[in-house]
Amino acid sequence: MRSPGRLALLLALAMACLPALAKTPVFELEIRDHLFQPEEIRIPANTKIKLVVYNRDPTPEEFESYELNREKVIMGGRKANIFIGPLAPGVYPFFGEFNPRTAQGRVVVE
Amino acid sequence: MLLNSVVLVLREVLEAAVLVSVLLALAHNVRLRRHWLWWALLLSVVCVMVYSRSLGTLTEALDGAGQEVTNASLQGAVFLLVLPILCLCVAFPQSGHRRLLGALMGLAVTFAIVRECAEIQIYVQAFSAASDQARAVWAGSALGAGIGLSAGVLVYAGLLALAPVASRRVCLVALGLIGAGMVMQGTMLLEQVDWLPQEAPLWDSSGLVSEQSFIGELLYAVLGYEATPGVLQVTLYGASLVLAVAAAAAGRKWRISRETTV
Repeated sequence: MRSPGRLALLLALAMACLPALAKTPVFELEIRDHLFQPEEIRIPANTKIKLVVYNRDPTPEEFESYELNREKVIMGGRKANIFIGPLAPGVYPFFGEFNPRTAQGRVVVE
Repeated sequence: MLLNSVVLVLREVLEAAVLVSVLLALAHNVRLRRHWLWWALLLSVVCVMVYSRSLGTLTEALDGAGQEVTNASLQGAVFLLVLPILCLCVAFPQSGHRRLLGALMGLAVTFAIVRECAEIQIYVQAFSAASDQARAVWAGSALGAGIGLSAGVLVYAGLLALAPVASRRVCLVALGLIGAGMVMQGTMLLEQVDWLPQEAPLWDSSGLVSEQSFIGELLYAVLGYEATPGVLQVTLYGASLVLAVAAAAAGRKWRISRETTV
């Protein structure tokens, strides 16, 4: 049943899909004791990225950024995906709306 | 914690209060009795409970897009309710179709306040649990809610102070703008989860009016103000305004055809 032709086709399909997957780099961020860790993430300019934010606190937090036009509530112990970009180079601050005094961070696009 | 609670609750309440005030003023203007408000508030309380309890699960649904898709749907629904409200208020400024109009207004209020109130509930519930913060969270939230509601009352009183015809016009225009603003905010949420593509901002007016300022927040509540909107957001905003005008124009045509047949 498994003809070499079909296998080759599958391989070609898989190869074709790889760049599409690789196009969206993933960056991870943690919320711990109402602080973002790391506070700063550096991402390439003009590229869409996927930010995965893990809330390690038992309390909820809202990821918010006026500059990035993003807002998302992340319940305690849960994670959230947030797509960012493509963006022009610059510094884009974000904060935790529930704990804005401590939860501060920034996306540096370069 | 106190100041933070004030700001957070005020932001959420302000958004909902503006829409509710405009709808209440419009209802008063077109002589619609206020039954709808009470069941809408009751329904909202139930929806807020369900929403905030299931938010964790909801967020991870649809491959992590659940929260945004739900919120964007709520905002889209408000806009879709605004269209027939505009049409009916123009077509029947005195009487007729009052039950339908009440139902539409009630649902619009419910959809508009569920998300805002759920966010407040999640915040207050989580952070008032810590005894050292409880007092600050409750006091701040009460203050924020008080200021937000006062702003709503002010808007309502201001709209009623106008001459009836002017008041109705201002309400209708405001409602169209609020609806279009909802569409724009919903668009942004769908960009956040990559359901819609994000584009480079068309302009940056954050130097002129910051989104974080009180004026910025107020403009956000009324116009869906965005300092750095993309092409898609502006296009959909414009299209929504055109639809709102078309709904009002259809209402006008309906009224004229009724008046000529009577």
